Amino acid sequence: MGKGKPFLEVLASAIHEDFRFPFLEIFAFLYTLGTFAMANFTAGVYSQIGTNETVAFTVTSSLIGFSILIFLILVFKNIAYGLGSELEKGIIQTYFSYPLKRRAILTAKLLSGIGVSLLLFLGIQISAFYIMAPDIVLPQFGTIVLTYAANLSYPLFLSAILLLLTLKLQRGGIGLVVGFVLYIAMSIVSGLALLVATSTKSPLVLQIMSLISPSYALQYHYGGLANVPTLSLPWTPTLTEATLYVVGSYVIVAALFILGYVYFSRRLNL
Amino acid sequence: MKRWVNVLGRVGTTLIAISLALLLVSFIPSTQISSSKGSGGVQPGQFMVVFSPGTITPQEEVQTAITVNGTLNIYLLAVNIQFQFINGNFSYNFNLTDLQELLEEHPEQIKWQHEVENSHYERNYNPTKVMNATVVAYNQGSETAQIEYDVALESILAPGDKVRTIAFVAAPIGVIMAVPWLLDLWKQRKKK
Repeated sequence: MGKGKPFLEVLASAIHEDFRFPFLEIFAFLYTLGTFAMANFTAGVYSQIGTNETVAFTVTSSLIGFSILIFLILVFKNIAYGLGSELEKGIIQTYFSYPLKRRAILTAKLLSGIGVSLLLFLGIQISAFYIMAPDIVLPQFGTIVLTYAANLSYPLFLSAILLLLTLKLQRGGIGLVVGFVLYIAMSIVSGLALLVATSTKSPLVLQIMSLISPSYALQYHYGGLANVPTLSLPWTPTLTEATLYVVGSYVIVAALFILGYVYFSRRLNL
Repeated sequence: MKRWVNVLGRVGTTLIAISLALLLVSFIPSTQISSSKGSGGVQPGQFMVVFSPGTITPQEEVQTAITVNGTLNIYLLAVNIQFQFINGNFSYNFNLTDLQELLEEHPEQIKWQHEVENSHYERNYNPTKVMNATVVAYNQGSETAQIEYDVALESILAPGDKVRTIAFVAAPIGVIMAVPWLLDLWKQRKKK
């Protein structure tokens, strides 16, 4: 028997557990409804004096705003309650009887927990955006992809932290709380960081923050926050700089996931 | 085989859920943002700015209802024509020369055009990007034409017809995909 079949077996089982009927359907319904309800093209009206890129960025950001919270809930549920409870109840040990390496088992769990959620999130959001505004989506597809990448980096960073905590504690409850606290903390920290950067006239704090959450770098590139005048912005990165922050943040996310893989494969005692 | 039935079934039920959300979105009523209602005569070789909402977005729809006595060409142009105070007078920042130049040299700015002759004409327009919009009635004939118009800008959640069509296509596909899985589920419950 090849390695493909047992892997698919574990993946199918993980998807079955993570998305019990009608979880997947409810989240698909919410994503669709949320995308149309939260789309804010008026932000694009004000930025029409800018470039088409700015319109694409502002509209995409408005689309992501609410739905990213649904995405986070889904991913956190899958990691904390899915993987966490399987570790707690010892169900994960049954997967070790399959002719698979530990890292393949974790890959299957992550593909189900994060990959399917991501597919659902991006698939519905980009399709809905295309239905509404094909003449924004097609010419500015690169900007839209970059905006999604920047906005998804921090939730993925939190998912990696949650994975490490779940593996270490072998239960999901605490990780879940820490994940949501960190998510809320970032919005508070971003406000404080802007204050510090403005008063010290140094963008260093914003640059450090953008390494973890590069959506801020992109936001500052495209003219800043709605309630902050563009002229008073302490930092205006170029598109290349903002893209580098996005790449840098994904390097950090990848490093954390690799740490999770190493821990699961070598250190986790079950 | 059973795994494929499961996968297709769940994809099907997800499609049904998305279709239901799309249907719900399409039935949420629109709200009026601004409107322009009136009547008047358009001299030969002249034009009339019927409605100029400025910038419109994909979540807005221009609803036009026009009755013409005579012959008029109705255009929806992707330009922002504004009523301004210029040289001590109130006038539009757009004159006949501008219109003729736009029609001849920038046809991409014409979003739709229709010749209305002694009849009533209705048309809705939903843009696919953030753009300027102005509805103009242009008399290219040799006689004065009378026009009566009722044009409004409505706020919508999504382009209703498009979204409804997608829902009506996706839902039956979803049902076809989900039926074998639901039958299997029902049989299993019956056995238990």
